[in-house]
Formats: sequence, structure tokens, C-alpha cells
Amino acid sequence: MNPSNMIAIEHHKDAEGSRLGMWLFLYTEIILFGGLFLLYAMYRMKNAETFHHASSELNTFIGVLNTIILITSSLTMALSILATEKGNKNLAIIFLIITILLGCGFLTNKYFEWSAKIHHGIYPNSPVLLKRPSGEILFFGLYFTMTGLHGLHVLIGILVMLIMLFMILKNKINSKDFGILENSGLYWHLVDIIWIFLLPLFYLIS
Amino acid sequence: MPEKVENHLDYKNYILIWFTLIILTTISVSASRLNLGQWGILIVLLVTPIKAGIVVNYFMHLKYEKPYMQFMLSIVLAVLAVFIGLTFFDIAFR
Repeated sequence: MNPSNMIAIEHHKDAEGSRLGMWLFLYTEIILFGGLFLLYAMYRMKNAETFHHASSELNTFIGVLNTIILITSSLTMALSILATEKGNKNLAIIFLIITILLGCGFLTNKYFEWSAKIHHGIYPNSPVLLKRPSGEILFFGLYFTMTGLHGLHVLIGILVMLIMLFMILKNKINSKDFGILENSGLYWHLVDIIWIFLLPLFYLIS
Repeated sequence: MPEKVENHLDYKNYILIWFTLIILTTISVSASRLNLGQWGILIVLLVTPIKAGIVVNYFMHLKYEKPYMQFMLSIVLAVLAVFIGLTFFDIAFR
């Protein structure tokens, strides 16, 4: 090994390997939320009527709107990655910014939803909630925990995408090297999938 | 060497996928609002995994990955199914 050999060695990236690593992480996320879904399923089984009734207190319109927002954000994320691969840097940036804005829109809706509930005295361990049947206490406990954990994941996704935006602007992500953007996309799509399951569980069963 | 994962899908394909997901969402929400009783719940419970499957296969392009990656996801889902299934058999009879 001599200096001219060392200069010639390029930094090796393994797109498939890093993608596999991302999938492994996503599996842990599936088990994490899966555990909460299991909890929901069991408490639902034991409190079917009460869950059905409590669900009618949630705003289905906002729930469906948020679903459309996230599905569309998955589209724009995929389009951003495709544009990157094709070398269209400006288009990639536009789609990524739209994805970020849609994510922020989701969180804004969540903020209005939650503040409405909290304004009516419904939040974990609130005096108002504790007076209600135990099934309703369980329903809203699960609602705040699951949508809260999901919302945290949306926030993290937005932060990750801001980093991706920065990297695209600096050409650290380009048509020859965009594995990290693809992996960010995988994370974002999973966040979308989790919401696709959350929607019927909390909003569509009334 | 850049590994091409996207060469199966173009802008148009993705938009078509998106549109399909919107249609399925409409079906799902409508089924829950119209008084279809058990059928309404069944439609929702069928449409939801289909939507998830479309996102996984096309947006996450698992359909175009090597078989071992597809297999690994099915293992994880099977584990989850066992967790939920066996717990169900416990809780249901208490």
C-alpha cells in the first residue's frame, strides 16, 4: 500500500446494505406500534359498545383530512426521490418541501384536534375523563398515546426531511448517491402506513 | 455504483398509485358512514391492509426488492399476528 493507491480508493457506499439496515429499524417500529395495536384490540374486545360510543366524539373529518394529507405526502416523497435519481435537483427540492409542508399540516390539524379535546376536559387522567365509564377512559388513553407517539414520529420525519433538504442543496445527495434520501422515504412511508391503520381504529368505528 | 431501484416506476405510476389510495380511502370511509352494519366493518378491515400493502409494495418498492427482503417483512408480520392472535385466545375466554 502506497500513498497513490490510497488516494485512488473511493468511499464505498452500499445502497442495498443501508436500505436493509433501514428496513431492520422499521421492523422494530412495526413491533413498537404493533404492541399498542394489540392493546387496542384487547381493550376493544372487552369494551366494544363503549369504544363505539367514544369514537363518535372524535372529529372524523379531521381524521380523513389527515389521512389524505399523509397519503399525498408519501406521493411527493416518492416523486422527490425519483426526481433526484433523474438528476432533476430543483424538482426534487420542490417535492421535498411540499412533503415537509404536508407533514406540518398534519401536525397543525393534530394540534387543533387535541386542544379541542383538552378544552373540553378530556385528557389522560383528567377529572372529567375519570368520571366516565372505564371503557371510555381506556379509549381516550389509547387515543392520546397512539396518536401522540405517531405525531412524534411525524415530527421526527419532518426534521429528517429538513436534513435531507439541506443535503440536496449541498449536493451531498445527488443522482449518483441518494440512498439516504430513499431510506428517509422508507421511514416516512411507514409513518403513513401507521396512520392508515390508526384512522379506522379511532375514527371509523362509530 | 448506484443501484437502480426506481426504474420500474415513473412519475405517472406514482400518481396512479396515489389516486388508487385516495379511492380506497373514500370506499373505506363511506363504508363506515353508511349503515352497513357488519359489512361496513368488514369492508374497512379488508381495505385497510390493502392500502398498507400498496404503500409497502410501490412507494417503498418492496415488490421490486430481492426476495429475501420481502421474506423478512412477512416474518415480522407473522410474529405480530402470533402475538395478537394468541393474546386474543387468552383474553377472549376470561
